[in-house]
Amino acid sequence: MSGTFTKAMARNVFYGGTVFFFLLFIALTFDTMQGLPKSDNRAAITPAVAAGKHVWETRNCLGCHTLLGEGAYYAPELGNVYKRRGPEFIKAWIQSMPSNTPGRRQMPQFNLTDKELDDLVEFLKYTSEINTQNWPPNIEG
Amino acid sequence: MNTPAYTLDARAADATAPTPHLPGDLAIWIFILAELLAFGVFLVAYAFARSGDVAGFDARQLGLDRDAGAINTVLLLTSSFFVVRATQAVAAGACARASGWLVGAIGCGLGFVVIKVFEYAEKFGAGVTLSSSTFDMFYLSLTFFHFMHVLLGLVILAALWLGTRQRRYGPDNMNGIESGAAYWHMVDLVWLILFPLVYVMR
Amino acid sequence: MKYKSQAVAMPYFIAAIGLFVGQILFGLVLGLQYVVGDFLFPSIPFNIARMVHTNLLIVWLLFGFMGSAYYLVPEEAETELYSPKLALGLFWIFLAAGALTILGYLFVDYNTLASATGNDILATMGREFLEQPLLTKIGIVVVALAFLFNISMTMLKGRKTVINIVLLLGLWGLAVFFLFSFYNPTNLVMDKFYWWWVVHLWVEGVWELIMAALLAFVLIKVTGVDREVIEKWLYVIITLALVTGIIGTGHHYFWIGTPAYWQWWGSIFSALEPIPFFAMTVFAFNMVNRRRREHPNRAAVLWALGTGVMAFLGAGVWGFLHTLAPVNYYTHGSQITAAHGHMAFYGAYVMVVITIMSYAMPILRGRQANSNKAQVIEMWSFWIMTISMVFITLFLTGAGILQVWLQRVSEDPMPFMMVQDQIALFYWMRLWSGVGFAVGLVLYVVSFFIKGKEPEAVAA
Repeated sequence: MSGTFTKAMARNVFYGGTVFFFLLFIALTFDTMQGLPKSDNRAAITPAVAAGKHVWETRNCLGCHTLLGEGAYYAPELGNVYKRRGPEFIKAWIQSMPSNTPGRRQMPQFNLTDKELDDLVEFLKYTSEINTQNWPPNIEG
Repeated sequence: MNTPAYTLDARAADATAPTPHLPGDLAIWIFILAELLAFGVFLVAYAFARSGDVAGFDARQLGLDRDAGAINTVLLLTSSFFVVRATQAVAAGACARASGWLVGAIGCGLGFVVIKVFEYAEKFGAGVTLSSSTFDMFYLSLTFFHFMHVLLGLVILAALWLGTRQRRYGPDNMNGIESGAAYWHMVDLVWLILFPLVYVMR
Repeated sequence: MKYKSQAVAMPYFIAAIGLFVGQILFGLVLGLQYVVGDFLFPSIPFNIARMVHTNLLIVWLLFGFMGSAYYLVPEEAETELYSPKLALGLFWIFLAAGALTILGYLFVDYNTLASATGNDILATMGREFLEQPLLTKIGIVVVALAFLFNISMTMLKGRKTVINIVLLLGLWGLAVFFLFSFYNPTNLVMDKFYWWWVVHLWVEGVWELIMAALLAFVLIKVTGVDREVIEKWLYVIITLALVTGIIGTGHHYFWIGTPAYWQWWGSIFSALEPIPFFAMTVFAFNMVNRRRREHPNRAAVLWALGTGVMAFLGAGVWGFLHTLAPVNYYTHGSQITAAHGHMAFYGAYVMVVITIMSYAMPILRGRQANSNKAQVIEMWSFWIMTISMVFITLFLTGAGILQVWLQRVSEDPMPFMMVQDQIALFYWMRLWSGVGFAVGLVLYVVSFFIKGKEPEAVAA
């Protein structure tokens, strides 16, 4: 079969296709931003939640745990830990670390204040109420 | 090859035994194939989702405006025909005539856009969104994905029109117009599959 | 070496290899911590070691990309680099900033590091792969802009080849999308949504432009195939990459609080994402088969073909394995993700940087290719590293399948840590594969120090 294959056309298709699909992505992003208030539990965001997220980030929790499935896979999923364990267990757990059991995975002691612990729990509560389309499949995360 | 020995003129030999010729550029064809694949997978997903909830899909489908869809089908078919005529005109060396046909094609395409915008306005007013139901998700996604292709196709047709105005194409330089025409026919073809599947078939 | 200023690529390549060694050392630490949980605790907890492992990877790949650009852009543009001095200055700045950041991770408490570097003014830290202090992030932007200025000016005063244009598009895209790392709203869903604009639009977007351009450059050089042919296919491949990859971002928007339709959009478009990788494999093999010369640097050819195959396997096949929403519902955030991440990064980005280093380093050292002996060692390192990575991926996949079954699919789901104990055998085997990888890496470094006679070029 004979045919033409020119660099100019390949270039035009590249630029045209890229711009086209990026615009489509922007359109979908726009729609997502419109729809998010229904699913992202933003009504529950309080100053305590914001402070809790800050605690979460500055202790690099994501370096071991996942949150809504994203992060490291060394330690349990925490997106639903509030529902799995409840607030008091979470706080007691964090305070009792590390376990120092030989050979077991160890979680550092972060020396969080009572307020920081409360904020972190608030953040995890807010996270657990985000509509994640029923993920994870069960409470074990 | 059993080309007669007495044929000295290579073009005469081509005329008797034409080699298959791919109109337009290979690059646009690869793009067209990728696009058709994306639409194809999307339609398979639609069939898959529909098989899980046939009654729900059918009920929602009844709410679509088939008349507008039918008019749009006619518009796109007509537009494709005009593009064919434009390509033929360029092949005959009549660029001025080609730009006339292209104006017609663009006009039909714009008609499609206008009707579609009215359809969307009505649907959005009725609360149809990507999240209102699975059928609505497919209806909006497929038609909007196609709608964006119509817009891109119109940009391409406009570029072709400019090209014919500037007499950039001719019997020896068909690659640009053939490539653009192939793309527009793809947009038409996708609608011909999409319209019955999403609007009509139950 | 055609232009004197290309020499500035050398320190970048050396730094890249050095940091690569560091990355693998920390990878071994992590692998051991998976099975001997208290190893090095509390001096280097897992989260710190992991941050060092992933950040070193990113930094050394950036060193590799910049070095490649300094080598490639002048040669393609047929002109000297706009400012070799700026390039060398940036090298030391970037190296110092990178080293300080890593040392900060290791020797300063992360929370203290955060408050000391302005994280309270603009919080950007503590998110996967974007753990760098604010000052480092700003440093990255400044270095990237100065680097882009330097190579853009070089291209503008010279020949604007397709390879140069595509490479620059990729590098500019890299810088632009990194800006989203400064956006960190309290709203976790928005945070995650735009976090992927850095991470996904890097590795499944603009980085693919860089990868394809680097691969195309080396293929032109080692095969002697007509530039026109290679450049046309380069355009086609990157078109396919972006057509599928941009909307493919949606496969990260299944379970993070975003609307449900992303499950369809993300699945459909990311199901097509293997196509460009497959095209790249076919492209690489095709060009090598059509070669018009036998380049004396056979190791570089091997790396070029290897990156085609491994990128397809790691990014294409292992990505597809868990990209469809119904599958991903069970595999999201499991060891399957880790398996895919390891092979995709190695196949696509590690190997393409090694490809260009393998091609360019001998030339930078004043010869067309290394001695036969050195090449044999380098090719051994190729096979040992690549096969080890295949095993790492297979064992992590095995671990992942079991994990998903025990923790998420079975009637009576087990808690996370109990499952981890059940699959420890796979982690041990992964660790030993990792040791194999480290051996391959040592051989790779050794190959730079093997002397011997330069092989002759042979016409095909």
